[in-house]
Amino acid sequence: MGSEALIVFFLAGVILVAGANFISNLISHKSDNPQKREPYESGMPTIGPTWVQFKVGFYLFAILFLIFDVEIAFLVPWAVVYQEVGTVALVEIIIFLFILGLGLAYAWKKGALKWK
Amino acid sequence: MEKYIFYVLALIMIVSAIASVSSRRMLRSVVYLLFVLIGIAGIYFMADYNFLAAIQLTVYAGGIIVLIIFSVLLVHHIDMELEVAKKSKRIITALACLIGLGVFMTTIYSHPFIETTTAVTTTTADIGFALLSTEAGGFILPFEVISILLLAVMIGAIIIAKGEDVTEEPPKETPLVKQEKPVEKKKELLETEVTV
Amino acid sequence: MYSSLIITNNIHSWVLSLMPAAVTGITEMMMIAMIYLTVFAVLGLFLVLMERKVAAWFQLRIGPNRVGFFGMFQTIADALKLLSKELTGTDKADKFLYNLAPYFLIISSLMALAVFPFSENLQAFDINIGIFFLIAISSIGVIGVLLGGWSSNNKFALIGAMRSGVQTISYELSVGLSLLTMILLTGSLQLSEIIEVQKSGWLIVQGHIPAVIAFMIYMISGTAETNRAPFDMVEAESELGAGFHTEYSGMKFAYFFLAEFINMFIIAAIGTTVFFGGWLSPFGITESIPWLGVFWFLLKAFALVFLMMWFRWTFPRLRVDQLLTLEWKYLLPINLFNIVLMAIIVWLNFTIQF
Repeated sequence: MGSEALIVFFLAGVILVAGANFISNLISHKSDNPQKREPYESGMPTIGPTWVQFKVGFYLFAILFLIFDVEIAFLVPWAVVYQEVGTVALVEIIIFLFILGLGLAYAWKKGALKWK
Repeated sequence: MEKYIFYVLALIMIVSAIASVSSRRMLRSVVYLLFVLIGIAGIYFMADYNFLAAIQLTVYAGGIIVLIIFSVLLVHHIDMELEVAKKSKRIITALACLIGLGVFMTTIYSHPFIETTTAVTTTTADIGFALLSTEAGGFILPFEVISILLLAVMIGAIIIAKGEDVTEEPPKETPLVKQEKPVEKKKELLETEVTV
Repeated sequence: MYSSLIITNNIHSWVLSLMPAAVTGITEMMMIAMIYLTVFAVLGLFLVLMERKVAAWFQLRIGPNRVGFFGMFQTIADALKLLSKELTGTDKADKFLYNLAPYFLIISSLMALAVFPFSENLQAFDINIGIFFLIAISSIGVIGVLLGGWSSNNKFALIGAMRSGVQTISYELSVGLSLLTMILLTGSLQLSEIIEVQKSGWLIVQGHIPAVIAFMIYMISGTAETNRAPFDMVEAESELGAGFHTEYSGMKFAYFFLAEFINMFIIAAIGTTVFFGGWLSPFGITESIPWLGVFWFLLKAFALVFLMMWFRWTFPRLRVDQLLTLEWKYLLPINLFNIVLMAIIVWLNFTIQF
């Protein structure tokens, strides 16, 4: 089908969601009042503005994910040509993964992988 | 047919880019930036360079945008709106942008671009061979240096994010000194009850 | 998809006879899109019913069996109910992002569903970077969850969304790396070629030890990536309201719900394609009847889905920090070591081939 398939499936997804929203709007019963519009906090009015206390753990996990994601992006072409290139590829990847393993060990040691 | 798809993608990207820099709510401008990046991936798909498009989606749209969204979620709350600059600053910035755009476009339009007659498809295997080749023009040394670069990034990010806490030991258990107080209170209560 | 199957050739010539050549391309694409939308919807319906039935059998009771024979129309009844519920929203919620979040999830699920080979030549979009495309598309789904949690203007939804986001991105790494371990055996990312290579033995047999380890890591990470139990702390009803989709009601909630089940099926489908031979029959019994491949593919995929549902009723729920420890301190190092192990085995030519 070629790369037009991308656009076709993208539009199909958009139509599915938009269509279902539209149908739901048509056939649903509407009874809006201010009580319904309050955010849910176990049945009581919310305490304080809606924000989360800053936990650096989330940010650290996101950065570690990004680094390993880039690593995967480099491993993919290596994996595809591995069988044809032979020994050089094996030595290469052992060095590459060893250095990245050092990085992971550093993160582990410094406690970056703790807390949620 | 490809021309029309390109025009549509380019239009979406330009509109999203302008919306991204002029929106006053932080997360919305991140989402508009995401649209620009997905548009770029679409153009790579059109240029028959699927691998690069997938990397764009994985690393940029799926990694960097997620990172930015995490930072925004941790710092902002939904009411925060970014401030708008003064009118004089806005006019000067708009003029500077237009001048830059003019320079950019004159440079591009004055260059004679030659259309290629053969369409080249770059497959993942081509990239793999180039990355692992030891001949001249091969990228095997940069491939290894990249791992060192990623190691440096990891160390740097952890040091910056954790600040002075990097060498901190785990917190000691707080000693249980508070147990005496409730016992004393109980004694007082008993005394009062007796007097009554 | 313009293949050797007689059916598609017939349809192609019929459409050509109705309208000029330029329009047939577009019409055919729309027909394929409609077919896939139907497949999407029917799969979703069937999976929800299967989940309830399987849950019931594990708990020694019968699941839904009132609506339709064997309870088959139960999910349609549920879907109609959800369609007719009121679409509420909270004030001060960011309307644009609130409505945008389900789009990311549904579009990523639909595009992932498009690349699977259901049988020989029965594949909508045979992209030459098959597996990597699936990894890329699953990275987009995370953004939908994060936006949904934020735009509900609800503390619990926000915390739930962030935890779910961290969980999904961490386990995505393990899924990608374990799939890469198998690409070493095939030498190509294209899904149809991966199945071609498996004609001389399924990949999990060809790669013996590292392949079995990769499969175990893949199933664990796949279950965790789609926020299924025992990793569903983020949507545990007793803990945080209902997680990041607290403020979504009616049809909008249905999108998240549907996307979760379709993602589960996608993980199972990738697993059967890469590890268990996709639409190939075991020992090539029915090799002469290619369209029977659909039956084999679905059989294997639903077996893996059943395995994922089995996990739910066997293991207790993991806390969020236990979850992240599992990934970063256990699965990721084992994965990296496994890649090196598989590389050494392929280099020494120790793979089993028939």
